[in-house]
Amino acid sequence: MKMVLIKRQGSWTILGLLATLLILAITFTLASPYFLTHKNFLNIGQAISIRGIIAIGLTIVMITGGLDLSIAAVAAAAGMIAATLINNHVDGTTAALVGLLGAAVLGAINGTIVVRLHINPIIATLGTLLFFRGLAFVISGGANIVIGVNTWSSLGRGFLFGIPVSLIFFLLLIILSYLIMRYSVTGNYLYAIGGNSQACRNAGIKVDFLRYSTYIVTAIFAGLAGLILMSQSGTALPIALSGAELDIIAAVILGGISLSGGRGSLFGTFLGVLIIGVINNGLILSGVPIYWQLVARGFILIVAVTLDGLRRGGGYR
Amino acid sequence: MKPLLKIANVSKSFGSVEALIDVNLEVHAGEILGLLGDNGAGKSTLIKILSGVYSADQGQFEFDGRRVDLNTPSAAQRIGIATVYQDLSLVNTRPVAHNIFLGREPRRWGWILDQRKMEKDAQVILERLRIQLPSVAVDVEVLSGGQRQAVAVARSIAQSSQLLLLDEPWASLGVEQTQKVRLLMKDLRSHGVAIILITHDLSEIISDTDRIAVLRQGRLVGYTKSSQTTQHEIIGWITGAVKGEIRQEEKLQ
Repeated sequence: MKMVLIKRQGSWTILGLLATLLILAITFTLASPYFLTHKNFLNIGQAISIRGIIAIGLTIVMITGGLDLSIAAVAAAAGMIAATLINNHVDGTTAALVGLLGAAVLGAINGTIVVRLHINPIIATLGTLLFFRGLAFVISGGANIVIGVNTWSSLGRGFLFGIPVSLIFFLLLIILSYLIMRYSVTGNYLYAIGGNSQACRNAGIKVDFLRYSTYIVTAIFAGLAGLILMSQSGTALPIALSGAELDIIAAVILGGISLSGGRGSLFGTFLGVLIIGVINNGLILSGVPIYWQLVARGFILIVAVTLDGLRRGGGYR
Repeated sequence: MKPLLKIANVSKSFGSVEALIDVNLEVHAGEILGLLGDNGAGKSTLIKILSGVYSADQGQFEFDGRRVDLNTPSAAQRIGIATVYQDLSLVNTRPVAHNIFLGREPRRWGWILDQRKMEKDAQVILERLRIQLPSVAVDVEVLSGGQRQAVAVARSIAQSSQLLLLDEPWASLGVEQTQKVRLLMKDLRSHGVAIILITHDLSEIISDTDRIAVLRQGRLVGYTKSSQTTQHEIIGWITGAVKGEIRQEEKLQ
C-alpha cells in the first residue's frame, strides 16, 4: 500500500494541482465577469511569464536540495545593468548579454558561498538577496532608468499569433528545461544529488561542480526574466520584483518540488506558477483589497510548505 | 592458487594513532573472507584503504597479479573493487535501475539517458543474482531493507566487480532479509566473486566464510581457514583472551 501511494505521489500532486486550478477558475468566474475572457487569459499569461522563467531556475536548484532567495534581486540587478548600458548607447543585444553575464556572476557568488564555503543556502542567499538588491540601487544611485521603446521591446510587449511573446518564451524555456531534466544524464544527476549527495560522490559524480552550476543557471534565468520585465515596462527599477521571491518559492513548492530536494518536476512548477498567477489575477478582478491579497499570498506559502512536509511523510523535524 | 588481492605490509596512522600496522592479507577469487575485530581494531580503515577513500602510509597491493595503486574511489572501482557501505549509498528518491547504474548510465548521443537499455540491463543483473523486486522502475524508498541491500550489491556487480567489500551488510536487517543477503553472497561466490565481509555478527561466521582474518589494535592477529577454527576461538582472538595464530603464514609473506 505504502509503495503504491509513494509511486503515485507525483501523479496525485499533478491531479491535485489541476483540481485546484479548476476550482479557482470556477470561483473567480462567479466572482468577476471579466475573469473568463480571452483578454484576461492573455493578461495572466503575460503576468506569469516573468515569475515563471525565474521559477524554472529555482526549480532546478531546489531539485538538488539547494535554495536561492536572491532570484528577484538578481533579476532587478540584471535589468539595471542592461538599462544602464542601453542608456549609454550600447546596442540592445550587447547590453542584454552583459546583463545576463552580470546575473551569472551573481549566481557564481551564491554558488561559491553555498557549495565551496558550505553555508546553509537559506542564510547565504538571504544575505546575497540584500547585497544584490543593494547593488541594483547603487547602479543608478537609487533612480529608475527609463529606456523607452527599443529593439528589445517586442520581447516584453510583443505578440506572436495573438499570444504574448514573453509567454511563448516562458513556455519554450520550461518545455526545454523539462526535457533536459527528465531525459538527460545531467538532469538525472541533479535529481540524484538532491536525493543523496554522498551516494553520488561515492559513484564518482561531480557533485560540487553540478551544484555550483545550478546557482549560475538559476541566476541566468532570473537575469533573463529581469530583461523581459525591463522591456515590458520600458524602465529598469532597482525595486523590481521586490518580494516576488516568496511568491515564486510558494509556486515551486506548491508544484511539488520538495524543500529537501530530489523530487518534483517542472510540469508541477508550471501548474504552481499558473495557480499563483490565477489567484493574484482573480483577487484583483474580484475587487479584494490589497492587504487581503497579501494575506492570501502568505496563506498560499504556508499551505505549500505544509503540503511539502506531508508529501515527505511527517513534516519538518 | 594465485590470490585475487594481495595486501603486503600495509600501515596507516592518523596523527599519533596507528590504525593499521604492517598488515598482510590475501583474498582469492570465489571465496568469502571474514574480516573481524573489535571496534577500533582497524577493519574500517582497511576497507577504506581498499576502496580508495584513504591512502595507505606504506605497503603494496597486488590485484590479479598486478601491482596497483588504490589512491581514489574511482581507481579502486576501475580495477574491480566495489564497496557496499553500511548506509548502502543509495538514492532513495530514485528508481532501482538508476541506482544500479548511478554514475555509469547507458547513454545515447553522449548526454541522453538510455532509459530503456538501463532498465533492461538492470533487470538482467537482478535476474542473474536471483533478486526479486516489484520492478526496476520503482523508487528505492519503497523497498524493504533486504531489497535495498540487494540493490546495493547489484550495483557493485553492474560495475563488473571482482572483489566486493561488504561492510556490516545485515546490520539493519531482519532475520528473513539477512538470510536472503547470505544466500545472495554465496551465490556471488559461486560466480567467482571474492568478498571481504565485515561483521560483528559471529553467530554464523564459520558457515558464512571460507577464511577469517582477525584484526586487533591495528595488527593482524589471526588468520585461518574457517573450517579450522571455532566461533569460541575467534571470540578469544578478537578480545585478546586467546593468542591469535596466522595459520597460512607462508601465504601471507
